[in-house]
Amino acid sequence: MKTLRQRMVPYWLLGPGLVWLALFFVLPMYFMGELSLKTGSLADGYQLTWATQNYTDAISQYSTQFVRAFYYAGTATIICLLIGYPLAYAIAFKAGRWKNLMLFAVVAPFFTTYLIRTIAWKTILQDSSPVVGFLKFVHLIPQDGRVLATSGAVIAGLTYNFLPFMVLPLYASLERLDVRLLEASKDLYASTRTTFFKVTVPLTMPGIIAGILLTFIPAAGDYVNSTFLGGTSQAMIGNVIQSKYLVINDYPTAAALSFTLLVIILAALMLYIKFAGTEALMGEDEEPA
Amino acid sequence: MKAWTWLREHAVLFTGILVIFYMLAPIAIIALFSFNDPVGRFNFEWAGFTTQYWQHPFAVTELTDSLLVSIRLAFMTAIGATILGTLIAIALVRYQFLGRRAANLLIVIPMATPEVVIGASLLSMFLVYGAKLGFGTLLIAHIMFSISFVVVVVRSRLIGFDRRLEEASADLGASAFTTFRTITLPLIAPGVASAAMLSFALSIDDFVISNFNAGSEVTFPLYIFGANQRGIPVEVNVIATMLFTVTIIAMLAVIIQQRRAEKMAEKREEEATSSVASLPA
Amino acid sequence: MTTALKTRNIKLLLLASLALVASMALVACGGGGIDEASNNDDIGVAEGGNPTGNLNISNWPLYIDGKTISDFDKATGTKTKYTEDVNDNNEFFGKVQPLLSQGQAGGRSIVVVTDWMAKKMYDLGFIQQIDHDKLTTVFDNLIPSLQSPEFDPERTFSVPWQSGMTGLVVRTDLAPDVKSINDLFDPKYKGKVTMLSEMRDTVPLVMAADGVDPTTATTQDWLDAIDKLQGAVNDGQIRQFTGNNYVQDLAKGDVVATIGWSGDAVQAQADNKNIEYRQPAEGCSIWSDNMLIPVGAPNPEAAYEFMNYVYEPENQAQIEKYVNYVSPVKGTKEVLLKTDPELANNELIFPSEEFTANCFNQVSPPGDPAEVTKVEEAFQNVVTG
Repeated sequence: MKTLRQRMVPYWLLGPGLVWLALFFVLPMYFMGELSLKTGSLADGYQLTWATQNYTDAISQYSTQFVRAFYYAGTATIICLLIGYPLAYAIAFKAGRWKNLMLFAVVAPFFTTYLIRTIAWKTILQDSSPVVGFLKFVHLIPQDGRVLATSGAVIAGLTYNFLPFMVLPLYASLERLDVRLLEASKDLYASTRTTFFKVTVPLTMPGIIAGILLTFIPAAGDYVNSTFLGGTSQAMIGNVIQSKYLVINDYPTAAALSFTLLVIILAALMLYIKFAGTEALMGEDEEPA
Repeated sequence: MKAWTWLREHAVLFTGILVIFYMLAPIAIIALFSFNDPVGRFNFEWAGFTTQYWQHPFAVTELTDSLLVSIRLAFMTAIGATILGTLIAIALVRYQFLGRRAANLLIVIPMATPEVVIGASLLSMFLVYGAKLGFGTLLIAHIMFSISFVVVVVRSRLIGFDRRLEEASADLGASAFTTFRTITLPLIAPGVASAAMLSFALSIDDFVISNFNAGSEVTFPLYIFGANQRGIPVEVNVIATMLFTVTIIAMLAVIIQQRRAEKMAEKREEEATSSVASLPA
Repeated sequence: MTTALKTRNIKLLLLASLALVASMALVACGGGGIDEASNNDDIGVAEGGNPTGNLNISNWPLYIDGKTISDFDKATGTKTKYTEDVNDNNEFFGKVQPLLSQGQAGGRSIVVVTDWMAKKMYDLGFIQQIDHDKLTTVFDNLIPSLQSPEFDPERTFSVPWQSGMTGLVVRTDLAPDVKSINDLFDPKYKGKVTMLSEMRDTVPLVMAADGVDPTTATTQDWLDAIDKLQGAVNDGQIRQFTGNNYVQDLAKGDVVATIGWSGDAVQAQADNKNIEYRQPAEGCSIWSDNMLIPVGAPNPEAAYEFMNYVYEPENQAQIEKYVNYVSPVKGTKEVLLKTDPELANNELIFPSEEFTANCFNQVSPPGDPAEVTKVEEAFQNVVTG
């Protein structure tokens, strides 16, 4: 029989951290929700009028940027998966003693500031650069074309910046894969291809889904890549939120937009948790005894 | 024919190496241009090799100030988030309690929230309270978004942890606190250390959330954002390259140290087994 | 060992961290906030403080040379912290607004913003009036054309820092025939054109190009010009709306013709002779950035000291050599004629009357705040298309 004191221990441990999250994550969400239902202006102050039209207006006016954000983030996530899977696979099974070094190369970009990396791409992709020249040479872009200030540049930037978030969970699940299963599949005369699609992919599905979430979510809310690499028609919903909050100080609309973005993303997350549980997102876990 | 098979066999590896090349390309450019001697204010065209900026990397006061702010902030964030997150991780792994699911959710959701929403919502609250935006609000925000990551890292370390060691300690009459200090902490220390490093890295790199809540405080990423308007000084490349190199060396040192420790452990085990084996039956 | 003792130590540790949380939360939560509007009924004149104390200045990037601040500190014994944290009028306003609405300046004694923003901040009660008796050097040396601007006819709260012109900045080698704002809409330069994200810089010039007098333009004229911009954005004509970073794109050649600022062009030309400021056929927009003393400024005396200091022609010349915008200080040209005649004879730094004959003072959209907001939103929607 545990004493009350003993039963309180976990709450004491959780307390400080969860209070912090409650005060500075949950509570702000409440205030943002309230702000999104207010009307008024900076000069006259804001009153709570339960202005639900803030939402309908914001969504109808900025549906383009919402769609664009999800389109860019979605495309970047797919590309990340397509190039991240071979990389994770190579690290897990083919790299041999270079494994640590390659893993290290994956996280290395984290150690140079996000902004500097993105700006470096601006240098690499400038109109007169050899990279763009090559793309023109192989007719991937038209002769009078450019890369910067296009959707392609923004998607490329998102892909680059969020690739590690895809590779790491993929690697973690590949690493845990029981190689004997692959051998068994081969012994049963399955082709390499069949083995890959019928055994490897299904078994690493948790890693794939975690990677997709970890890539898609930050990419959908990002505005740094579209600011630096995009042009006039590449603004994502993050740009709108940023400009509404920080440039024209239209707080209610900004709050309504943020809240909508949050709800869409949380809905996706809840769907995932329903199938996989919170544990899958936080790494393997057994319920403690 | 043979070459083709060889290529096919190594296709995955080549793709992997290609992707890594892609990931490192911008870093190579950044490092390269730290040795550039640009004509005028813009550092995007190769104009000649110089080490002059490496000799005086801290010549730009604004840049140095912002870097110091960022380092101080990242340091305090690492301490705060690591303490709070480690305690949560211990509770989650060690104890069965009511509200566990809710606690898990509260930790997962911040990780799944777009930065722009976190930044905006915090600003909404600070605006309502009329809080003074600055270092304090930055620290609050940075600790907040780092906690979840600390929990994840420390927790994975705790799960692979042999609880019998603690039980043994308790059996020998050590208090819970002593056991924690002398057994638990040293064992989970690598996890705690990497959590601290992670939160340091998250904090020093954050732009979006800081942009909303910095007030008049200028962190390193915020400085770069401003400087980009008028041309980023070469010193930024130098400092970025320095930060990168220092972390690489630190991490390589950790890897080598770990390898050595593993080898030693193996050796000891071998010796132990052989000495047991050599005992007369 | 009793259980009680075991848990007590842990509990102490936790209580300590809980206290930490609570105290930080308290620090974060003051009173006041955005729900309360303020007004300027009771704005005082800035006074008090120690001329040799600390002085915090917020200004735009690259708007001062490297030596003036240390020279000023040496000459006066002040300890100045000069921060380049103004990148955009609106963004800076958004940043300091929560503080200023509570009467706090965040430690700043001087902030530098453009005319219309200065007025907006003053109307909100964020800015103190200045004491002309303490600014004798300033008002002895202020050039006549800046003595009574529309937004502050008596100069009751603002002192010009630098002035400038908004016009065309082009690559002479890549876009030799761009001479008017309308040329920016030439399909030849599709995707090679940028304009400024500051609405009051871009839109009036576009209106002027269409034959509308910006100084008498109606809200509808503004919206029409913004529509025209939207069209150009949709056609891919305009590559980006930018802050100062268009200069970099010009230098790279990614962009060949822009709406830009005169001083930027002078600075850029020093690095790349193919970059040039051109007075648009339609005329240019003239503006100035102003030093203001915000409410709650900790040390107005030192702020006055600094304003007077930079209005000494000798000191101004030193700033001017680096900054290359239009100097508001009489006698600067004479100083520079002796040391740097080329600079002194530059029309962009000391423009003649003929050079600016077609130009107009920077304008804001007409009408009440709601109408202004409407125009601002329409423009912002083009920028974040």
